[in-house]
Amino acid sequence: MTRLITVALAALTLAACQQQAAAPQKAETPAPTPVAAAAPGAMPMAGQMAPAFTLVDAEGVQRSLADFRGKVVVLEWTNEGCPYVKKHYTGAMQALQREAAEDGVVWLSIISSSPGTQGYVEGDSARAWKTRTNAGSTHLLLDPTGQVGKLFGAKTTPDMRIIDAEGRLVYVGGIDDKPTPRVEDLQGATNFVRAALDDVQSERPVRTAFATPYGCAIKYPETVGT
Amino acid sequence: MRRLFRLLILLGLMLVPVATWAQAAPSAGPQRTERIEAELVAMSRWAAPGSTAVVAIRQNIEPGWHTYWRNPGDSGGPTTLVWTLPQGVSAGDIVWPLPDRQRLQQLVNYGYEGVVYLPVPIEVPADARPGTVLPLLVKAQFLVCSAEMCVPDDLTLTLDLPVREGAAPLDPAHGAAIARVLEQAPRPAGITAHVSLENGVLTLTATGGPLAGRDPGPSYFFPFESGVIDHAAAQTGSWGPQGLTLALAAGGKMNTNGLSGPIGGVLVTENGAWEIRAEPGAALPGATGSGDVTTRPEHTAPVATEPAGWSAFAKAALFALLGGLILNLMPCVFPILAMKAAALTASAHNPRHAGRDGLAFLAGVLTTFLILAGVLLGLRAAGEAVGWGFQLQSPPVIAGLALLMLAVALNLSGVFHVGGGLQAAGSGPLARLPGGVGAFFTGALAVVVAAPCTAPFMAFALGAALVMPWPMALVVFLMLGLGLALPFVLVSLSPALLAKLPRPGAWMERLKGLLAFPMYGTALWLGWVFSRQAGADALGLLFAAGLLLALGLWLVGTGQTERGLGRRGVVHLTAGAVVLVLAGAGVFMAAQAPDSPATGVPTRAEGSGPPSAPWSQAAIDTALAEGRPVLVNFTADWCVTCKINEQTSLTSPEVAREMERTNAVYLVADWTRRDDAITAELQRRGRSGVPLYLLYLPGQAEPRVLPQLLTAGVIVDALKDARP
Repeated sequence: MTRLITVALAALTLAACQQQAAAPQKAETPAPTPVAAAAPGAMPMAGQMAPAFTLVDAEGVQRSLADFRGKVVVLEWTNEGCPYVKKHYTGAMQALQREAAEDGVVWLSIISSSPGTQGYVEGDSARAWKTRTNAGSTHLLLDPTGQVGKLFGAKTTPDMRIIDAEGRLVYVGGIDDKPTPRVEDLQGATNFVRAALDDVQSERPVRTAFATPYGCAIKYPETVGT
Repeated sequence: MRRLFRLLILLGLMLVPVATWAQAAPSAGPQRTERIEAELVAMSRWAAPGSTAVVAIRQNIEPGWHTYWRNPGDSGGPTTLVWTLPQGVSAGDIVWPLPDRQRLQQLVNYGYEGVVYLPVPIEVPADARPGTVLPLLVKAQFLVCSAEMCVPDDLTLTLDLPVREGAAPLDPAHGAAIARVLEQAPRPAGITAHVSLENGVLTLTATGGPLAGRDPGPSYFFPFESGVIDHAAAQTGSWGPQGLTLALAAGGKMNTNGLSGPIGGVLVTENGAWEIRAEPGAALPGATGSGDVTTRPEHTAPVATEPAGWSAFAKAALFALLGGLILNLMPCVFPILAMKAAALTASAHNPRHAGRDGLAFLAGVLTTFLILAGVLLGLRAAGEAVGWGFQLQSPPVIAGLALLMLAVALNLSGVFHVGGGLQAAGSGPLARLPGGVGAFFTGALAVVVAAPCTAPFMAFALGAALVMPWPMALVVFLMLGLGLALPFVLVSLSPALLAKLPRPGAWMERLKGLLAFPMYGTALWLGWVFSRQAGADALGLLFAAGLLLALGLWLVGTGQTERGLGRRGVVHLTAGAVVLVLAGAGVFMAAQAPDSPATGVPTRAEGSGPPSAPWSQAAIDTALAEGRPVLVNFTADWCVTCKINEQTSLTSPEVAREMERTNAVYLVADWTRRDDAITAELQRRGRSGVPLYLLYLPGQAEPRVLPQLLTAGVIVDALKDARP
């Protein structure tokens, strides 16, 4: 009898030890397949030629980047529901758009939100976008498949590109150096797009050619559901 | 029934004032939006003047939403804090726990889901008046995002932190969780790292410290800044005897501006997460060749953000039960149980008695465990930095236990009898008290005697129990007791098993005599432990006490025999009592010995860090004159941060090794009691309190101030500069 109890207890001891040893592994095991290689292809950086694209604008007109060859073009990814975009659309972004327009710069605002996600617009809503946001953009381009956004490696709203008259990217990245959604942080921030446009107008090399973009994730089609 | 009703009314009445009080404080406590609930909570129940208290922003994020790490990754933004603090109080940086990688198609964010604590050290000035409260106010700016949208949620959180002298116990609600986050947060660990950039690939090599000699397993590097790497790209590489190499796809900033300075970040491997700083430079040797390193899977369970959950509780309870069962075989407990079992055989013919004895034994075990657990939890609540086995850190308790073991052994040897003497002179061993009382006390004795055995075996369950809320902890302790009592109770409740027990007889006495020897052994072992803690002189006193105890018990035993023979035996009993009192005095003196001025001897338990000497400017000057570096630890027993640092870094083997290599001197300035010299030195360093760590290097006039949240790596790195 005693022997039986002894054996049973010894077995329990062993079981306890094994369980303890197994415990840390267990936390690790539910390994989802590591990183599906959905790399968006190399993001075109400053100095490289901007990839060609054609998109339909809010009025239903096809616009190609090639149409604006010979002019400086700004690309701005936007999403009016995003707090970071809202911060800049309190007047600062519109002012910059109008300054650029006065200098003959073409400003293309691009919405890469997929249908049904935040920022997506179509039809009347798209046509009213410029009035609604008081934007000074040249055109609002619709990219519901996200293809053009991915082509440029755009990640956030806002995310900015400047293309010179020869079609070369001269600026890539975030709009300024205060990555917050707070309006008060516009004060004292360095706006890299304004600085780069100044450099381009004065035919200087762009001093800051990249800044890390910040903001809301672009709502690309497959994005939903994480 | 009526009594129950009355009790309920009473309880109701007791709750009323609590409810009114809770309503009276509108702004404190958790604040919430639809997406996030946040609260400012403290690690300790109060803050001592001149100490660093730790508070934390506790986020409870709704499912589907997340907040961000210091580098948010491809989108989003980190949680920021804007403090409004009383005069003299200052807040440090957030101690960021390891983030999750959250994939949104081709974007990857670094952030948190569920319950997250962001600890922040708060400096309490030395002139803060005990009895007052420090009103802390923080505007916490969260960016809370889901796959669909981001919302900036600003919440104003407040906390009134009481100021009191003395040891602050962990806050019962959040203290243990915050302490764990603090301990597990990635910090520097003496890792050397280099990084180089070629063709859009950053090659990171990291060697030394905890990386050397281990397969890192799946790993990942979180840079502190965005734009450094492509957050979404896989990170693969290889490892070698010294560390690992990771190939990182360079981010926009790197590709545009090139690699111009060091890259800081957190390196996570299977073996832990550490802060590293990679200097631009060629690949370090020994970081490849032994095998491949794969990308760490996303969504690895957030480290340290989970409070004591039900599963941990269930596991701890189960282990406690198993542990209790195993305890039955321990040399300390087995003899007592065997003795009890032998006694049981005597009443085996009467199952009713046996059953009653069994239940009484169970009650005895459980009651004693409750008392022990209560003492432990009470001590912990009172701020003692105790863990299980705390009783073994205290020389008086060790001395007492050693003598108890000796007494039990003498009892088993038949020198004297307990309890039964008066009623059933001579015939009754320990367990023959009338009714179930004897069984009850056998249970109690089994637990007390089991105490020295529990520590190593119960570490898991008890360790877990100590960080749980107290009701859960008590249940874990009770499970331990249940396990201990279970075999005996089962036997006593089962007539079939009882019938199988052998008949009592002379073999019982022989068995008892034999079982005395493991008890003598335990007593000797405890004596050895005591000598390590209290020194040889104290051990001498303990031996004297043991001798007196044996003599006294022998006298008592003789007295009992006399009475058994019908004589009075008063002389023997009186003499026995007197000698026992002397024995008590002896052990009291022995236990006091360690508090005598001979504290220069390392009195700490083994493994508690490098040998230390008390701090003084003279000691520093002497060591520096000899060309030795000096590490000074300004600490206090009531300073939780100090204790965490001492446990996690100052006592680590890496630090010990480096101290030895550099021939460093370790000085401790203990501020537990008021010490004006230390206070003055702290003030001279611009500090209002502890912890403060100073490293003096020979040839340098001013010491280096090490960070308040120390790691082994920080100390090792700092000491490396002292190497010849």
